[in-house]
Amino acid sequence: MEVLREKVEEEEEAEREEAAERAEWARMEKMMRPVEVRKEENTLKQETLRDLEKKLSEIQITVSAELPAFTKDTIDISKLPVSYKTNTPKEEHLLQVADNFSCQYSHLCPDRVPLFLHPLNECEVPKFVSTTLRPTLMPYPELYNWDSCAQFVSDFLTMVPLPDPLKPPSHLYSSTTVLKYQKGNCFDFSTLLCSMLIGSGYDAYCVNGYGSLDLCHMDLTREVCPLTVKPKETIKKEEKVLPKKYTIKPPRDLCSRFEQEQEVKKQQEIRAQEKKRLREEEERLMEAEKAKPDALHGLRVHSWVLVLSGKREVPENFFIDPFTGHSYSTQDEHFLGIESLWNHKNYWINMQDCWNCCKDLIFDLGDPVRWEYMLLGTDKSQLSLTEEDDSGINDEDDVENLVSLSSSRRPQLTVSTAFETRCPNGKKVIQYKRAKLEKWAPYLNSNGLVSRLTTYEDLQCTNILEIKEWYQNREDMLELKHINKTTDLKTDYFKPGHPQALRVHSYKSMQPEMDRVIEFYETARVDGLMKREETPRTMTEYYQGRPDFLSYRHASFGPRVKKLTLSSAESNPRPIVKITERFFRNPAKPAEEDVAERVFLVAEERIQLRYHCREDHITASKREFLRRTEVDSKGNKIIMTPDMCISFEVEPMEHTKKLLYQYEAMMHLKREEKLSRHQVWESELEVLEILKLREEEEAAHTLTISIYDTKRNEKSKEYREAMERMMHEEHLRQVETQLDYLAPFLAQLPPGEKLTRWQAVRLKDECLSDFKQRLINKANLIQARFEKETQELQKKQQWYQENQVTLTPEDEDLYLSYCSQAMFRIRILEQRLNRHKELAPLKYLALEEKLYKDPRLGELQKIFA
Amino acid sequence: MNRPCNSMEPRVMDDDMLKLAVGDQGPQEEAGQLAKQEGILFKDVLSLQLDFRNILRIDNLWQFENLRKLQLDNNIIEKIEGLENLAHLVWLDLSFNNIETIEGLDTLVNLEDLSLFNNRISKIDSLDALVKLQVLSLGNNRIDNMMNIIYLRRFKCLRTLSLSRNPISEAEDYKMFICAYLPDLVYLDYRRIDDHTKKLAEAKHQYSIDELKHRENLMQAQLEDEQARREELEKHKTAFVEHLNGSFLFDSMYAEDSEGNKLSYLPGVGELLETYKDKFVIICVNIFEYGLKQQEKRKTELDTFSECVHEAIQENQEQGKRKIAKFEEKHLSSLSAIREESELRNIEKMILECSADISELFDALMTLEMQLVEQLEETINMFERNIVDMVGLFIENVQSLMAQCRDLENHHHEKLLEISISTLEKIVEGDLGEDLPNDLRALFVDKDTIVNAVGASHDIHLLKIDNREDELVTRINSWCTRLIDKIHKDEIMRNRKRVKEINQYIDHMQSELDNLECGDILD
Repeated sequence: MEVLREKVEEEEEAEREEAAERAEWARMEKMMRPVEVRKEENTLKQETLRDLEKKLSEIQITVSAELPAFTKDTIDISKLPVSYKTNTPKEEHLLQVADNFSCQYSHLCPDRVPLFLHPLNECEVPKFVSTTLRPTLMPYPELYNWDSCAQFVSDFLTMVPLPDPLKPPSHLYSSTTVLKYQKGNCFDFSTLLCSMLIGSGYDAYCVNGYGSLDLCHMDLTREVCPLTVKPKETIKKEEKVLPKKYTIKPPRDLCSRFEQEQEVKKQQEIRAQEKKRLREEEERLMEAEKAKPDALHGLRVHSWVLVLSGKREVPENFFIDPFTGHSYSTQDEHFLGIESLWNHKNYWINMQDCWNCCKDLIFDLGDPVRWEYMLLGTDKSQLSLTEEDDSGINDEDDVENLVSLSSSRRPQLTVSTAFETRCPNGKKVIQYKRAKLEKWAPYLNSNGLVSRLTTYEDLQCTNILEIKEWYQNREDMLELKHINKTTDLKTDYFKPGHPQALRVHSYKSMQPEMDRVIEFYETARVDGLMKREETPRTMTEYYQGRPDFLSYRHASFGPRVKKLTLSSAESNPRPIVKITERFFRNPAKPAEEDVAERVFLVAEERIQLRYHCREDHITASKREFLRRTEVDSKGNKIIMTPDMCISFEVEPMEHTKKLLYQYEAMMHLKREEKLSRHQVWESELEVLEILKLREEEEAAHTLTISIYDTKRNEKSKEYREAMERMMHEEHLRQVETQLDYLAPFLAQLPPGEKLTRWQAVRLKDECLSDFKQRLINKANLIQARFEKETQELQKKQQWYQENQVTLTPEDEDLYLSYCSQAMFRIRILEQRLNRHKELAPLKYLALEEKLYKDPRLGELQKIFA
Repeated sequence: MNRPCNSMEPRVMDDDMLKLAVGDQGPQEEAGQLAKQEGILFKDVLSLQLDFRNILRIDNLWQFENLRKLQLDNNIIEKIEGLENLAHLVWLDLSFNNIETIEGLDTLVNLEDLSLFNNRISKIDSLDALVKLQVLSLGNNRIDNMMNIIYLRRFKCLRTLSLSRNPISEAEDYKMFICAYLPDLVYLDYRRIDDHTKKLAEAKHQYSIDELKHRENLMQAQLEDEQARREELEKHKTAFVEHLNGSFLFDSMYAEDSEGNKLSYLPGVGELLETYKDKFVIICVNIFEYGLKQQEKRKTELDTFSECVHEAIQENQEQGKRKIAKFEEKHLSSLSAIREESELRNIEKMILECSADISELFDALMTLEMQLVEQLEETINMFERNIVDMVGLFIENVQSLMAQCRDLENHHHEKLLEISISTLEKIVEGDLGEDLPNDLRALFVDKDTIVNAVGASHDIHLLKIDNREDELVTRINSWCTRLIDKIHKDEIMRNRKRVKEINQYIDHMQSELDNLECGDILD
């Protein structure tokens, strides 16, 4: 407290006066602002007012459309542990200390708001905020790092706004309750997140402070959706190759340098203008997007998490907004001020001025001038430069223990099976600037949809630009569906494993013979097809890694010939006008025999060949065949004439001039043409098949279930249950068989030695005689009981006959009932005796049999074998 | 051999016979008509079948340069000959003939399948050139020595062998022996060798095979050693400093120097010679190392140069290709436009445009080529200057080192003369002379004789050193001139080839256009 006092004294100094003035001014302004706003509003035009109202109402809708009431009434407190409902003496002591601290604080700093020290919990019991924090390390490895923790908290809980946006809440529920009901205000959020972060080893603190409107209402409409941000292309640094000694000099540049300079100047001017225009445009847009000034700016209470550097290799301090799970630098303008912060050990009050948001704050919690601590003796105070001045207070050491003691009484936080579903009810919607993100839990949607991002053209979110839908666990391996609303282009992305090896399928309609591009996982296909592009009149295929070096095939179709019969695409293929095929270089062949491109002009009966270029040449051989089957003037069929093959050869060769060679080449090409046409036709069929398959898959949209997913996999569940049942039965049976009839007899003999024959025989005999004795004993026992019962009955009967006259009706009834019961017992005993007599020899024989088969009495077996 | 051919007249392989065979076995039907129309050149024939023709002597086959498969079975050939030109032959069938020795197959390096079934061969040899041999059929012959099998070990590709019905196949160990000594063999006598047999055979003949292998390995190692040594020497030779890394030059100096050898018996000369030799060898090694270093330098220089030239040519080619591709695209579309055009005047106009395009392409390509020629010339000149400088520097340094050698020699000569004269004086005085060899004593007759002898030795030494130096200088100079000549010549050849290529292409384009013109006008 001395520090506080000192501070007050210091404030009197001239240096502090200025700050005080500023604080005064700020306070004044705070009071003035609502009035001003009101004044402003009065002066506003009717139009803009309506606009503002509309805007505000919109915000209301997006934020609290379906917020259920989260009040004390809905919470079932009966199941909470006792520590929630009462305070231990130590906690009471702690509260007293806190009260005392609060009193002194309000006395010394009367202009500051009261401290948020001990709100009520769900059981209406005041609890010190530090004890509400329950450091917990979650059993899920995903929740070990701060980013995933923050994402989890923001996904898992539904946000409820503070009852009064200008004050901290009166209640602060325990994280157990918050987790159970999956909703809470910013304080609940940050308490839970802070508990998890401290549990995983971060130096994290809950912060009570002031945030911007967007922050407090979890309004992301001015944020750019992180999913829409395109990853920056990493520009490859072109390695400047050092010119070698004998690199040829470039040809002399004969252009005028002056003209070039002029040109460059002109270009620059144009570019500058363009840039300016763009900037203006941008500014205009920015202006339009800017938030309307908030009337309560700087007064809205918010709570978030501060992570200090040091532990877990955190390089520098940062804030986490628990609503969104995003991290912000401590300089961020959304965070407007800090009143106090606490962790599970201590509570600090910010003594620094927040006139410039949080930008000037220094998070050295050991500095008592900047951060006034409530409890002495935590690790941070050792950093303090003025350590000597607070050594007089002793009782606070106990208090510090109190915090740790009282918090350890609370149960560990647990996240139930709801962990997988993440969001409450498995669904969450986040509104970003020009984008809307919807999330679902896996398996919630029957078609496997897990998230959908809708991008809009305008800020009002009316014109949809594009929709991206992510899927999971689809049997058809569909991963992402991208619909571009402006061009109407749909693109499906697949993971490896589709039966047709699809990678990407982009189309406008599912009708065949329309614009479409299908990409494949070429390694999964036998024909090495990479991509197939279709337009109404053409089809282009790209190949890779084929043994025949085919790399490209392009087919163009003519209009379909009308047939009288009912025709479909399958039965009446379009006539092929032209097929172009390109090949990679086949290193096994010389270049002038290796065809690079061949064009079958089907309609013109013309075949064009272009060969690969030889390494030291710039021209390539060409050959053109005209396939005319004509008859000459005498009516004889012309087989081959020189003008049917026009060829250009880089290095003229003799054998290619021969008609025979040309004829054979042409025959070969004719066969190839037939094959190619067939290939094209098959490709068309395949497209039809793929389209059919896709439609079926879309209609069925079955989901796969991993065999490791014990909860969902029905088959494995059944199997497992059956296995368990079997195991149980097996266990029972084993227990039964484990009754060792030989054990007592074996115990008499020295252990570990093999039995001799004599011993075995004796053992067997002993065992059998013992068993026999047991059977006889049992029979005797039954007999004895029987006799006893009979005797008693007889006695009773005697007694009855003697006293028959004096008996009351009640006694008589009693007697009669006794008789009937006794008779029943006697009968049962009789039956048991008879049964025992019947079974005893059988049991005896069975035991004998068993003994013969017992491995320990193997000696016996030998003799009988 | 009781074959019906015995009673028939042997026939000669003449042109008619070959023509007939080629005609019969050539293409059939439509292609056959064409072939008949054109005639078939012997060198285009890939496969020829000449069986059951009573041929006695293989002849007239020199024209069949590209023959892949030749069947000469069931004739009465007695000697393998006349196959020297058939270097591409893959398949040769000489079964059912009367051949006695294997010969004349040394040029058939591509042969994979050889059949000599049913002949009179008694020894397998002269097959060394047939490195690709896979199938060898020697059944029904007179091979009687198992050692012939070991000869077959050198054919690494041999998979199929038939030796049935030979005297050796009667031996009980026959199969095991072959399996053991030819482990890569898959088929023997038309049957697959199973793994079990292989293992058995291996076990049975393990010792002898191991020994054989050891011997083969030794031989191989020796060959490799030889090869390495030869390569090393070759490397030194390219550096022009061979045999300078030791006392070779020094030894050669004394090899033909009888006086010098005699004089070395003089008292005191032995030590002198020893120190002289040491110093001399050190200088030689210096020259050697310097030479290797310089060679390395020259090599990197040459590599950089050729790399740069290659890059430049490649770049130029790319540009040319791009230009041609662009032109062709345009040209094709204008050609089809001309075909579709019906107005004669328009056609003419378009044709004119086309030919203008062609000449423009020609100009562009030629400009590119001329540019490249200029650039390359500059680079080549620079390289020439550098390499000549390098060689000059090398020669200069080597000469200075050689001069050191000469100084050493002179020094040695003086010392030797001194010793000789003092010895002569001693002999004259009669102090010593008993322990000198007789032929040496003969030199010490008078002063002139001894001085002459020492002088002759000195002259021989100097001559050797001069010769070595001259050899080095001439060789490196001739290498240098040859290299530069070759670079210039290559460049000229390249230029001519490219110009020819461009001209040819342009001519083709022009003639195509002209043809079109004619066709159109005719239409």
